[in-house]
Amino acid sequence: MLHDSPVINVGGLDIDLSVVLMLIVTCMIVFLIARLATRNLSVENPGKMQNFMEWVVEFVQGLISSTMDLKKGKPFLSLGTTLILFIFVGNMLGLPFNIVTEYNDASKAHIFGQEIVSVTEKIHAAQERHPGEEVEVGISWWKSPTADPAVTMGLSAMVFVLVHFVGITRNTKGYFKHYLQPYIFFLPINLIEQLSKLLTLGMRLFANIYAGEVLISVLIALGSSGIIGGIVSIPLLMAWQGFSIFIGSIQAFVFTILTFVYISQVIETHEEH
Amino acid sequence: MHFVPSSLVLALIAFLILYFVLNKYAFGPLFSMMEKRRELVLQQINEASQTREQAVAYVEEQKQALQDARKEAYDIIEQSRQTSSKQTEQLLDQAKAEAARIKEEAVRDIQSEKNKAVEALRSELGSASVKIASKLLEKEVGSDAAQEELVDQYLKKVGGRS
Repeated sequence: MLHDSPVINVGGLDIDLSVVLMLIVTCMIVFLIARLATRNLSVENPGKMQNFMEWVVEFVQGLISSTMDLKKGKPFLSLGTTLILFIFVGNMLGLPFNIVTEYNDASKAHIFGQEIVSVTEKIHAAQERHPGEEVEVGISWWKSPTADPAVTMGLSAMVFVLVHFVGITRNTKGYFKHYLQPYIFFLPINLIEQLSKLLTLGMRLFANIYAGEVLISVLIALGSSGIIGGIVSIPLLMAWQGFSIFIGSIQAFVFTILTFVYISQVIETHEEH
Repeated sequence: MHFVPSSLVLALIAFLILYFVLNKYAFGPLFSMMEKRRELVLQQINEASQTREQAVAYVEEQKQALQDARKEAYDIIEQSRQTSSKQTEQLLDQAKAEAARIKEEAVRDIQSEKNKAVEALRSELGSASVKIASKLLEKEVGSDAAQEELVDQYLKKVGGRS
């Protein structure tokens, strides 16, 4: 029921092909939207797409100014806009459809002349446990890139590195002092806090989107189980997909604003009260 | 679900490429355009307030000019009224003086005419009385100058009394 990802092994390195595909698709869509919106830029007579893009930029500007001084936050404006667009588009991509290929035989699980490791491993493991039985392994090619923990952790790690880099370069004294506050023996707690920020930022996004996709595939499985299941599953699917759009938007928003909150925490000098 | 470490790196690379490409081809121009629009709006607001100030000043100026014109018109009317009344008076005075002069002249004329008439009458009367006397006296009284003078004197006394 739950589908695996197509992992191939190139030169000892595992590569998830669905992630590669979805990253490319997401980047292409975001770039296309941004490029279409900024194709015919006009100061006095903006088109519909330009208005939309300006709305997005102003929305991100609002997020920045709500967390820190807009002057200090201006350099992060395009980062924030890219983040929110990338995550939003990524979240939406997994909703409308899915592409699944199923394999019974380990020898057929190949793509571009490469063995799909995740499939063959699973088939071999199943055959060892129950020799002679039919096994079926589904591979999902189309999914939200943000439903992959590695992708969200990658984004989260990028934010983490950026935050600490900005903290060290722009607010050196305040940054290091902050670890020893309020007392010197709070150092381990502060370190854990930083680490938890890294983990929660990535995991929150991943878990929300992954859970949404799991429920969608569960409902699809219910729908294909029989006539009654199909009748029941359609309204449920509609409701859940609508809710997933909502969750996807919220998660894109949350990720972006948390990025700004973390940045503002390290560049704002805290005065002693 | 697997955690594939290469995906993390791939995601990072993909995102960074997207970030730089967007920054260069989409957000850079968009931000500069938005900045331009902000400046344009600011400039237009300034211009509008300037124009409004100018309009207010202009209206004030117009009001002042209207006030001045009204005052000037009032002055002119007042002045002409004064001049006309003065002129009337002057004309009246002139006419009075003229009338008085003409009257005086007439009186003088009458006087001189009267004098002349009296003079003529007197001389006529003198010669007439001499003639009467010579007619009466004939020879005794010649046309002697001494005699005429005597009569003249006498007549003067009479005329002076009359």
